[in-house]
Amino acid sequence: MDINQEVTDGMAVYRVTGRIDGLTSPDLEQALSSSINGGTSRVILDMRAVTYISSAGLRCILSTAKRAKAGQGGLAVFGLQSAVNEVFEASGFNTVLPVVSDENEARLRLGA
Amino acid sequence: MEHLTLADEIVVLMLDDETGAIRPLCAGFANVAIAGGILMELALLARIDTDLKSLYVIDPKPVGDEMLDSALQEIAAEPRHDGSKSWIRHFAFHKGDLTSHVLERLVRAGILRAEDRRLLWMFSRRAYPQNTGREEREAKGRLLAVVFDDAIPSPRDTLLLSLADSSGVLDAILSADELRKASKRIEQVVAFEEIGRSVKAVEAEIRLQIEIASIARPM
Repeated sequence: MDINQEVTDGMAVYRVTGRIDGLTSPDLEQALSSSINGGTSRVILDMRAVTYISSAGLRCILSTAKRAKAGQGGLAVFGLQSAVNEVFEASGFNTVLPVVSDENEARLRLGA
Repeated sequence: MEHLTLADEIVVLMLDDETGAIRPLCAGFANVAIAGGILMELALLARIDTDLKSLYVIDPKPVGDEMLDSALQEIAAEPRHDGSKSWIRHFAFHKGDLTSHVLERLVRAGILRAEDRRLLWMFSRRAYPQNTGREEREAKGRLLAVVFDDAIPSPRDTLLLSLADSSGVLDAILSADELRKASKRIEQVVAFEEIGRSVKAVEAEIRLQIEIASIARPM
């Protein structure tokens, strides 16, 4: 898994490539936490290049969303591939965080 | 025992304070809830992971708890990556009396005490009253916070709610009115975790079997 991060307009955007599972999710959680701990609690996850997500990966995203909300921000996700989208739908994550189609919409949902 | 595992917590919640026995409402589902709790704890400890089709070991290193390590060893030795439902059925139905095992370990940990009580002066049965009840109050408080608060719950509390929902604990600690009002929220949170959904599915299989058996019973 590769993670690239950029901060624009007060939002941290993480572009993730590869698999988010029990082996890689600790690295992702640490990266996402660094933004929130550093005061940027509006976080966007670009998942266009994520090919697989496991329960541990979902847990990492939910924990980050919880911390982001506690910091008066939020977490939005965009660009899910169909296999990943299937996992998101089964877990009903779209009921607790914005799961949208592109980055502009993610920014709007986080109050850009 | 440094802290209670989810399997320990759900057993504490399933106990009836007065009788010191598993509540009748929960008894038929106790082993399934414990099996689910074991898998959930291993997942939280980053030893196993799951997806929609399979459950697999990501780190076979023992966690230092005999119940969890025994399950982890068994999963690690299985070359096929069956799904979580299959493992829940395996541990719940083929590993003996999980409920008694957890009750006894809670006695050893000083959370419960074992008492032999007489019923109608003839029958003897073992009761497990709580020593302080602190663990039950703490777990109940977390459950109620998840149910009645709209905030995103922690993974541990999400999983505990799944077990409480499937085992009948929620029916025991909430009124019918509270359950009705919270039903959407409970459904939402239970869906978050794959193992929680599997526990619910296995519980539904048992309920169906009970229903079929009651219909098939001769008059």
